[in-house]
Amino acid sequence: MNVSRFAYASSKNSSLLAPSPKQRGASGFPSPADDYLEVALDLDRYLVPRPASTFFMRVSGHGLVQAGFHDKDLLIVDRALTPRANDWVIATIDGTLSLQRLVSQASRFWLQGGDSRQARIPLDGERDHRLWGRVCYVIHALHR
Amino acid sequence: MYALIDCNNFFVSCERLFDPALEGMPVGVLSNNDGCIIARSEELKALGIAMGMPMHQIPSMQRQRIVFKSSNYALYGDLSSRVQRVLAARVPALEPYSIDECFLDLRGMSNDLDALGRELVHAVEREVGLPVSLGIAPTRTLAKLANRRAKGMPGRPQLCLWPDANAPDLSHFLRQLPVKAVWGIGSRLALRLASLGIDNAAALRDAPEALLRKRFSVVMARTARELRGTPCLEAHDLDTPRRSILCSRSFGRLLNERDQLSDALRHHCQRAGEKLRRDDMLASAIGVFLRTNPHHAGPQQSHPLWTMLPFPSADTLRLNHYAQRLLAELWQPGIAYQKLGVMLADLSPRRGSQTSLFEGHEPARQEALMQTWDAIHRRYGRHALTLGLQCRNAAWQMNSRYHSPRYTTRWDELPQVST
Repeated sequence: MNVSRFAYASSKNSSLLAPSPKQRGASGFPSPADDYLEVALDLDRYLVPRPASTFFMRVSGHGLVQAGFHDKDLLIVDRALTPRANDWVIATIDGTLSLQRLVSQASRFWLQGGDSRQARIPLDGERDHRLWGRVCYVIHALHR
Repeated sequence: MYALIDCNNFFVSCERLFDPALEGMPVGVLSNNDGCIIARSEELKALGIAMGMPMHQIPSMQRQRIVFKSSNYALYGDLSSRVQRVLAARVPALEPYSIDECFLDLRGMSNDLDALGRELVHAVEREVGLPVSLGIAPTRTLAKLANRRAKGMPGRPQLCLWPDANAPDLSHFLRQLPVKAVWGIGSRLALRLASLGIDNAAALRDAPEALLRKRFSVVMARTARELRGTPCLEAHDLDTPRRSILCSRSFGRLLNERDQLSDALRHHCQRAGEKLRRDDMLASAIGVFLRTNPHHAGPQQSHPLWTMLPFPSADTLRLNHYAQRLLAELWQPGIAYQKLGVMLADLSPRRGSQTSLFEGHEPARQEALMQTWDAIHRRYGRHALTLGLQCRNAAWQMNSRYHSPRYTTRWDELPQVST
């Protein structure tokens, strides 16, 4: 416990200054509380467990307010997750990135946009190249 | 076994990931200052536009059909590190070789290398969204060639596996391959090899080792051994050691104002000093050049002015001090300059440098100051500490008219998703 905490602390707080010969290592007894040390909650790790495949995007427009997506909301999109039926996904449609619902019926897949008058776009299965990534979280600011 | 993985048309693929409208269009990414083409989509290659072609040489009829992008290193760098992270999670060791290439060490990996290769290609394409090609072979030199072979393959995944140096299509491939295409063989070496009748990769593989060692070098003999399937080169063996450092850039517009030139020079000295210290080197000589636009009438100037430093140094403040004196010598009133640069030469490793009583050396205090300087930059970014005031949008800064957003590194430039 002590060892790993030390490694963590030193990587975050290494001194900017070249070591001076007067400096000595810290001495004294380790605090008994160290054994019960809790790590602070890290929202980044919670929302982004796979940083290499996770991308942030910004909602543009009011077409999906009913579904809970507001203009300028932040989307967290993970490409590593295979989208399943009823997932919200990013898809490439007509050269733009678009927020869509993946719907499925009798093992066939479609994209459904916010406007229900729009026709559904049929897909070639759940690995269609137009599927960009799966939306995992939407972050909405209450005050802007 | 080793693998070389390479992102196809990397810069263009990065641009397309967040701008799908670029799919299927001829796309060209431009160098610093929007000078020439440094990356091309397949469609642009098909138009006959060569790598390195200056933008103004492209006929205007063609230019209208092409989508140009200024280079966006914030984006490319971020995606490059994502590719490496995806791979690092799947193989025991990884050596980045350039912004878009990686060697993978597959020693001790599964017997089914074909399945592993497919999994690696698939993982990068799915998780990061960039197309890649992969070559797997017993040595790094062969892996690089296998990668080249994979790139020529139609369909996906672009994967070429040579389980050993006797793989059936390997010999045929090597006979067709000009020796210049082998890793580490430049055109000058290729000419010398050709004079001995060694003009393709198979001939190099079969050349007597003693001859290669005697007429060329140990590295050349090892290259041949690698072609025969025995690993004996490290990734850095073929990295040519730095002999000089150049920091220069064309201005956004022609400049004559002494203050702005001095400002730009300070910036370049700072970069040059950082490069030196990153490689743990010292420079003994410094040169500065001011270049006029050769296409404009009027007095021309371009030659550099050099001076020796009092002793080998990597101290930004000292470099800047001498560079500014050179600039004072070079600068002439009434001449419009297009480009300014700093060059460092006569580089030597800092460790093991001979410090004689007579020559002198950088005082320990200066070295400590520079360590602190670099540490501040590492922690707080390049703009945290600068030599004097540097305007971020100064006239000498680069032109980048076709800049795409920094999609992955700026909150205010995230990709927009329509609803």
